[in-house]
Formats: sequence, C-alpha cells, structure tokens
Amino acid sequence: MLRYVATRFAIWIPSVLLVMMAVYALAFYGAGDPIKLIFLRAPGDVAYNPERIEAIRESAGLNKPFIEQFGYYVWNLLQGDFGNSLNSGRSVWAMVKAAAPVSFKLALCSIILTALVAIPLGMIAALNQNRRLDYIILGSALFLWAIPAYVAGPLLMVGLIVLLPGVNVPYGWGGVFDIRVLLPLLVLSFQPIALIIRQTRAAVIEVLSEDFVRTARAKGVPEVVVALKHILRPVLTPVVTQLGLIMITIVNGAIFVELVFGLPGLGRLTVKALTNSDYPVILAITLIGSFLVMISNLLVDILYPLLDPRAADAKRSR
Amino acid sequence: MSTVQTQPAILADEPPVSLWRDAWYRLKRNRLAIFGLCVILLLAFVALFGPYLTPYDFLSQDLEARNQAPSLAHLFGTDDLGRDVFSRVVYGTRTAFVVAVVVTAIALVIGTGLGAVAGFFGNPFDRVIMWLTDITMSVPNLLLVVVINASLKTPIAQWMEARYLETLNPFYRETVWIDFLLVFGSMALISWPPYARLVRAQVLSIRSRPYITAAQALGLSNRIILTRYVIPNALGPLIVAVSAGLGTAMVLESAFSFLGVGVNPPTPSWGNMISDGLRVWQHYPHLLAAPAAVLGLASVAFSFLGDGLNDALNPRGSK
Repeated sequence: MLRYVATRFAIWIPSVLLVMMAVYALAFYGAGDPIKLIFLRAPGDVAYNPERIEAIRESAGLNKPFIEQFGYYVWNLLQGDFGNSLNSGRSVWAMVKAAAPVSFKLALCSIILTALVAIPLGMIAALNQNRRLDYIILGSALFLWAIPAYVAGPLLMVGLIVLLPGVNVPYGWGGVFDIRVLLPLLVLSFQPIALIIRQTRAAVIEVLSEDFVRTARAKGVPEVVVALKHILRPVLTPVVTQLGLIMITIVNGAIFVELVFGLPGLGRLTVKALTNSDYPVILAITLIGSFLVMISNLLVDILYPLLDPRAADAKRSR
Repeated sequence: MSTVQTQPAILADEPPVSLWRDAWYRLKRNRLAIFGLCVILLLAFVALFGPYLTPYDFLSQDLEARNQAPSLAHLFGTDDLGRDVFSRVVYGTRTAFVVAVVVTAIALVIGTGLGAVAGFFGNPFDRVIMWLTDITMSVPNLLLVVVINASLKTPIAQWMEARYLETLNPFYRETVWIDFLLVFGSMALISWPPYARLVRAQVLSIRSRPYITAAQALGLSNRIILTRYVIPNALGPLIVAVSAGLGTAMVLESAFSFLGVGVNPPTPSWGNMISDGLRVWQHYPHLLAAPAAVLGLASVAFSFLGDGLNDALNPRGSK
C-alpha cells in the first residue's frame, strides 16, 4: 500500500511541475516585462527610461534565463510567497488567503449538497429504469448540466424578485449559515449534481445485474435493504472517482457564481485580476485551481484500492 | 408451422439495415433528441442566413429608441445604445456557431491524431500522450484559457501591428482576427483531450480485431490501415463526442465573452450581451433574458441531441 502511494506521488510531482512551468512560461513570454508593467501604472515616466528599467531588472534578477527565474518562482512558492500584485502592490498570498475561505466553504457545501441530492436521485432513477420517473430525473439532469452558471444565476435572481416581491436580492457574503448563500450554492451545485445523478444511475444499473443482488432478492431481502446495503456500497466507488471532475466544474462555476452574486472569493479575485491584467494574481489562482483538481485526482487514486480491493489486485498484477 | 417456414424468406427479402439507418431509427423515437436536433437546425439556419433577414443592422444605433421593452418593431427590445437586441442575438448566433465549429474541428484533428498515434503505436508514445492528456484535463479549463488569453493578446497584437506597418494591408488592422485567433487557439488547446482519450480507447479495441491483422498480413502501410480501417470504425462514439463538444464549445465561448476574454464588443456574442445585461437587469430584464434564454436553449439542445445520439449509436453501452 505504502509503495503504491509513493509511486502515485512520484508520478504526480512532475505533472504538477509541468503545469506550473506551462503557466509560468505563458506569463513569462506573453505578458511582457514585469518591471515595465509595474511602472506603466505608477506615476512618473520611469517606464520610458530604458536605463532605469534595465538597472531595476538586473537588481531584481529578471535578466536571468527562464529556467533560473522559474526555479526561483517555485522556491518562493514553497515558502508561501506568490510575489506581489502589479496593481495594488499587496502580497498575492495575502489576497488569496483573504478570499480562499469563502470559495472553499462554498465548494465544500456544494460537494456535500451534491452527494446528498444526487446519489439518492440517481438510485431512484436506476431502480425505475425506463419508467416515467427515470425519464424525468434524467431529463432534469441533462437540463441542469447544460445550463451555464451565468445563465442560471441571473435568471433565478430575476425569477425570485418577480415571484416573491419584497425579497431582497441575494447579493453578498454572510457566511455559510446566511440565507443569502442558498442561491449561489444551488447554482454552483447544478452541474455536479447532474454529473453525479448520471454516474450513479449508470453504476446502479450495472450493479443490478450482479449475482449478489439477484441472490439477495431471491432470498426475500426487502427492496429497501437491497438498495441500501447491497447496491449502494459498490456504487459509491465509481461515483467517488468523479471527484476531480466535480472539482473542475466547481472551480469553473465559482468564477461566475461569485461574480453574479457578489461573493468575495477566489472567483471574483480572478475576474478582477483579469480586467487589470494583474499577472501574478492570475498565475497564483490558476496554479491553486489546478493544484486543487490534481490533488483531488491524487486522492482518488490513493483511495480507489481501499474502496475497491479488486482494483488494487488488478494494479498489482499489471 | 407454415409461418416458421416463411420467416427466413421474409428476412432474406429485406435489404440489409445499415448501422446509420438503424441509428436514425432509434434516434427518431427519442423525442428529446429530436427536439434538440430541430433547435440546432433552426439555430444553424439563423447563423447562416440570419444577418440577411433581420430588419436592423446589429451595429446601427437609434438613440431615440433606447432601452425599449420588447415590441413588434423590436422583438427583444433595444439596448442602451438603441441597438436592436433581436438582431444582436441573431448575429451572436453566428459568432457562437463559427467558434463552436472551428474550435471543435481543430480539437478533433489534434485529439484524433494524438489518440490514434497513442493507441496504434503504443509505448512510448502512448505513455507520453496520455500523460499530457491527463495533465491538460486536470487544469480547470476556464483558468487555462484566461491565462492564455491574458498573456498572448499583447504579443499577437504587436505582431499584427508590425505586419501592418510592413505591408500597409488593412487586413492586419482588423482586431476581430486577433480575437478569433486567440479564442480559437486557446479553446482548441483545452478541448482536445476527450477526443484523444476516446480515439485511443477505440483504436486499442479495434487494433486486435481480425480484419486489422488481415490488413497487416496483406502488407498495407500503417497510414492506410489507420485511415481506411481504424478511424472509420471508431466513428460512432466520435460523433457523440463531437455533438457534445459543439455544445461545450458554444457555452465556453460565451463564458469567455462574459468574462471579457473572448470575442470583444462591438461583435455581438451571447456572452458579452449577458454580461452587459447583468448590469441593468433590475431595470431592463429583457437585455439579460433574451441572450441568456437563447444560450440556455442552444446548450440544452446540444445536450439532448448528444445523449440521444449516444443511445442511438452505442446501443450496447446505454442500456
């Protein structure tokens, strides 16, 4: 087991490094000279004085080759230093630290909500396969999957105001237990819920044809017990493997949901950095987002043999 | 007993049902999929001919008729500059379709190529290509496009400006091309992995079939085996993936325009219309509702069609 985790980890590290390098290279070659970018925003005409610029570049080590600067960047990252914002001069790490809790709480709630809503619905759909209830659940899942967050959010907001006059616009952040969190949370969970409903349904249908389900039914185990005891357990394994994909939809969705509902999280920080071309911030958030997804994938890789011992055997024999 | 005897005769009389006719038969019975197909055909028609049919130009401003509610003269009302929202939505359909088709085509070529090579030639190509696929899929695609857009816009704009000064060809001054180049390029760069995975899996399952062994025994070159035998047989699942991919690309395009990194105004795109409408939706909800509803409809239509195609083309996998 330990060896398996170690190899997973050993494969994982170069992947993370490659992503970091690609993103860093884009900013390095595309964004242009950071010193010039800083002074273009500052008062005075330093930006048009090549000698001063060159001197500052040299003192900051920005004339070194790409690999050396990248190594320096990674080294600083490991110590929690993401550089400074071009726009405000604040430390990017401080900005991220202020915004991250909002996004993380929202993401966690969204994952819990998804699990609570989608797994039962997926099971119900599968147990009523090809009946009306199945079609309704499956159709709704397809519908939820296709509706982008920046369409669902505003339209729900308009609907809420029109249907319930006197209700305040759910705008802003007051913590997880604030009533205003409901709508953003719902919109953020639409796509994950749709994904897990379909995944659960497919998994349950596959398990239904297994011998142990037929045996359980044959010896007269009540249908509810069969569903909860015999079917749910093997179904959870393929569902858990979707964690990485769910993370991607949540990270993507958060950008829009936070913008539409005015939540001060990482998503809104991204948009703000984007409109200001604040490269260090964009770089940091992209890396954090990718890291989240990659660590979810690693987690799934490590957990998978624990959940499904057959997979561990298959991997060992390979 | 006589019926039993006649049955083989009836079967022999019937023309053989091809895979495609069979699939079409199954698709026809799926009402949601047919609904999706109709919506997509309608939108495609609008994208092709719409700009010639609308009563107004998407740019023409009528400052005396600003922010009007929907009426017979302006089906979806007018925006803050007095531009006809219906015409803009129609033109936005064209933008969405162009981006979706071109991006999917590029991604399909890259993905099919890499996936076929990985599956057909095996290691070490397989390992490297699948590694790249996994990595590309594990980066949140929106963030990656944001980075690509933010960083490559300036160099490309500078390059175009330099070309213009060199040649004085007004073509290079057209900023629309920069937008489209960036949007196409960055979106294609994140859209190819699903195709690569799919094609690789298909190739791996097809490679071991007897007809491939026969072709190899005949001494056909790898290129011919790939293009004549492997790719056509992998087509079914690929069509499903393309249908889903078109919808995804369309939604992505409007997502980027919504964030301001996609197609820039004044070229209408559903995304930037939604983001404009979002600022004033409490006063003029139609500015938000019209593009949002059309985008939602298009996305749902592709989703339904893709699902129906999946059931129709891969009958074994669905049930």
